Parts: sequence; structure tokens; C-alpha cells
Amino acid sequence: MAYFMVVLLDDNRMAKLRGTGLEEHIKYMFGGELRLLEVEVNEELKDKILAEFETARVDSRGAITDVPVAFMRELFNQVVEKKSLGPEVVEGVLAKIAEIKEMAAKESEYLPPPEIQE
Amino acid sequence: MSGLLIERPLPHGGRLVERVIEDKAVARKIWKSCNAVYEIKPTLHYETGVPVRNVYREIMSICYGFFSPVEGSMKQAEVERVLKERRLLNEWIFPYPLIFDISKDDLNKLGVEPGDRLGLTLKGKPFAILDIEEIYEIDPEELAYKTFGDPETNPEVVQQKFDKKHPGWVIYRSHQPWVLAGKYTIINPPKFKPPFDRFWFPPRKAREEFEKRGWRTVINHQTRNVPHVGHEFLMKCAAFTGDVEPCHGILVNAVIGVKRRGDYPDEAIVEAHEAVNKYGYIKPERHLVSIVLWDMRYGNPLESLLHGIIRQNMGCTHHMFGRDHAAVGEYYDKFATQILWTKGIPSFGFPAPPTDVPYGLKIRPQNMREFSYCPTCKEMAYSETCGHKREKLSGSFLRGMVAEGVQPPSIIMRPEVYKVVVKWWKQFGYPFCNEKYVINKEKELEVDLEDL
Repeated sequence: MAYFMVVLLDDNRMAKLRGTGLEEHIKYMFGGELRLLEVEVNEELKDKILAEFETARVDSRGAITDVPVAFMRELFNQVVEKKSLGPEVVEGVLAKIAEIKEMAAKESEYLPPPEIQE
Repeated sequence: MSGLLIERPLPHGGRLVERVIEDKAVARKIWKSCNAVYEIKPTLHYETGVPVRNVYREIMSICYGFFSPVEGSMKQAEVERVLKERRLLNEWIFPYPLIFDISKDDLNKLGVEPGDRLGLTLKGKPFAILDIEEIYEIDPEELAYKTFGDPETNPEVVQQKFDKKHPGWVIYRSHQPWVLAGKYTIINPPKFKPPFDRFWFPPRKAREEFEKRGWRTVINHQTRNVPHVGHEFLMKCAAFTGDVEPCHGILVNAVIGVKRRGDYPDEAIVEAHEAVNKYGYIKPERHLVSIVLWDMRYGNPLESLLHGIIRQNMGCTHHMFGRDHAAVGEYYDKFATQILWTKGIPSFGFPAPPTDVPYGLKIRPQNMREFSYCPTCKEMAYSETCGHKREKLSGSFLRGMVAEGVQPPSIIMRPEVYKVVVKWWKQFGYPFCNEKYVINKEKELEVDLEDL
């Protein structure tokens, strides 16, 4: 089974992606209303993620979900930095595991709510 | 023609249990007759000490008739029969043991005996009484295993031995070892705090509301989740069942109690469902949001049986059941609930579906698969009818999107529903249940009590 992680793209992230050459890999879901990128995850990296984060799970599509928000934010940073969607992106994230875990611990207490139009 | 029309079923057991005293003078007299008084405590996880259940919710659901015909904490013979045959001593089917458990120390301090009347306080105020008929000891671990079944005894649907990763197993494992059995009576009805107060429709009130609205047929939607558009379509389409016309009403009945980490807060769940009718996605004339108090046991087919009982007692004619109904992990077959309601599960005491056994249920199951987005049809489509490749609506994918602060597209979550999620996120500092939420919620509860 092929595994992947989804990076959601809002306008802010779209601006950061410009010039990386990854725009052509953007996928659209739900009638084009949702933009995303899929980052490749191999078997070994999948096992590492599941071992490091007890909430992480693989859904029926093969997508790895329920990792901390800090992980997902760093995943996007690594996509931009490495200009890639290959396994080296997740490797880059896992290299910062201690930092991510520290932020994840705080995340279980508080997550800043988004500002939305009332 | 009249033979084709489905009538509102009688409560399970033939009559609604109602054990609530509203008259304060009568209540004060009863309270004075108590031999001892006990402050209700939350059940704490046997290892971590975090709250996993509060027996007050069971007392409420019993006394207001949600669990009719159960009238109190079960006697030993009844618990044994429920575990063996999923039947009460009066023959009516019932899935779970319901008991009032206390520690040995508390039992010694109370010094009560069968025949005594125990006063129960909640948040320091008189709440209910328990007329003790029997006192016995249990082995909580044995009770936990027997409640949910195992792969050897229940090979039709149980795939894995239960353990501490299962929240329902943990609830029974965390019970105290002494049981006071007997009938409960609420003598000081608690008042629900907002937003729960406007969703409180105990069975008698629910039946009266259905009558007032002209709802002869009503389909129930069980929920412990904020609705995404897949849920909305499930409700709309399942309601096309009925008899000569689609169901007149859709009852959303949200289970309020201790939740798993990662579930949405109860407050967000009820208001988000309300947003579905408030903003016209389903007409409010056809859609009603309500609550039941229960710390979910996640017993998949067994839980579905309890859900059927609760909703029949509320007056529903139909109940929708999906894949993995009230399930967690892979302890049960994904379709265990649907197997129960279409074929029965002999090892659990059901050689036929619960609607086809003596002293069974009258509510009709509507077994449903799932809705997801079809980019070809450009709409939400039903898995069993749409022939295209669809985009699945995974709850965890949606939770991830919410946690990242990305507003889900309106085709998967209505903007008004998302606003409710953010409203309660701001209140609790977190979009989902976390340990802080659970601890605070179990301290404050969803009710307050007045002086007697």
C-alpha cells in the first residue's frame, strides 16, 4: 500500500509555494473547493510516525492522519524548503522530532482558534 | 391503507418508567426518611484516575424512562442474566449491566442494609434516593470482560479480546467492587445548563412533541459528532424510509457524557446539529435535536441495542445504523450492528434480530452505508448507488483540517456548523475534548441542582 500525507493549502500557503515548481502537483477535491498536496511516505517512515505519535493513524485511503498540528506545519515548511513531495520531506520533519514533540505537548492544552467572519 | 401505516411504538417493556418527584413537599418528606446519605462521585479510570463515568447520568436516564423498563441498579441475578442472555429478569431484552457501585470503605461508612433507603446527593444537593434491595460484591475485571464478549464466546462478531484501550471496557473495569441494588427515584430534578437545557426531551416530552408536530413516523440519528455534510445527507436520505410517505421527523439524539480525546465537545455537537435546521439545510419542522445522558460504552452491536431501546422509548419508529456504529478500534466486526439487526447474534442471545425475538423491540432499523462526494455527479452520493470514484469524507481528515485552522469547504462542512465549532473552540481553548475539558466537565457537569 502507498502511504501519503495531505498538506492543505489556503491562500497564505499558496503564496509561499509560488516558485517552488510544485504548483502543477496541486490536487483539487470536493469540486475544486479544496486544494492540497500529497507528500509521499514510505513504509519505514510510516512506521516511524506511528511509533512516535500515539494518536497517528492510517485511514482507509492510506493517508496518515491525526498527527500533531506542529507536525503538519513543519511538513508544509519542509515541502517549501525542499521543493519536493518525496520521502525526504517527512525525513526532514522527523529530524526535528524533539522540537515538534515539545510543541505537541503544549498543543494538547491549547490551540489558537482561527479568526473567522461572524 | 391503514395496514400500511406505521404507528408510534409503545415504550420497551410496555410502559414508560417515570420515577421523578416534582413536588418539593413530598420530596422533602421522602428525603427525611433516608437512613444514610451518599455524595455521588465520578468513576475514575482504574489506572490514570481521570473521570470515565458518572452514575448520575444512568440515574437520570433510568428515572426519566430512556432505559425503560429498567427501574434501578440491577440485582446480582439480573446482572448475570443480562451478561448471559442480554435479558432482564422480566424477560425484556437489555444489553448492559447498570449498577450503583461503591467502595468497601464507603459501604462500611454508610452501614446500610437491604431495606434501607439511601439518599444520594449530587454537587452537595439532595438529588435522588436508592431503596436498597440487595448488596453484593462484583469482580470489576470479570464484569468488564463479560459485558463486551470475546472472540471465543462470540465468534460471529467479536474479533479481538477487549483491553484497556477500549473506553467501555475501562468504565466497567473501573467500577467499585460493591453494588447497592434497588430502585432509584429522583426527588430533586436537576436543571440543565445552556446550551443543554433546550435539547432536553425526555421520553414523555419527546412523545408529546412528536404528537404536537404531527410526526407519526420518526427516524432517529444517533450522534456523538459534529455533523459534516455526509451526516446531513445520511439523515435526509434515511428519512425517505417510513411507510406510505417518508418519515415525518428526524430526531437527532446526541449522547452526552464522558467523551474520548479528539471527539468534539458536547456543547459544539448539539449546537452544530441545531445549525443544520436553523439555517435550513433540513427544515426545522422536520428536524429536532435532543440529548440523552450516557457515558458511552462503545459496544457496537450492544450499544446499538441500547440506542434502539432509548429511541423507541422516545417514540421513534425507525433508527438509522451505519457501519462501525458506536464502535472504537477493531474489537467488533465493522458490520456487527447491521448483523444484529438483520440476522441476530445467537451467542449474545439473539437467534433472530432484536425486533423478531420475544420481548424484543418494535423500532425498525434502517441500515445505511456511507455518503461521500462524487466529483462526476458533483454532489454527495450514496456508496451503494453512485458508480463513480468518490472522495471519502474521513472524520480524522476533517478533524486534521479543523485543528490546522483551515475552514472546510462548504460542500463537506456547512459554514454555520464550522462557526459553532470555532465558537466553542474559543470558549475551551481547544476544538476537541482534551483532558482539561473532561476533568472540568466532570467537575461541573451539565446540570445544576437547587436546594430542596
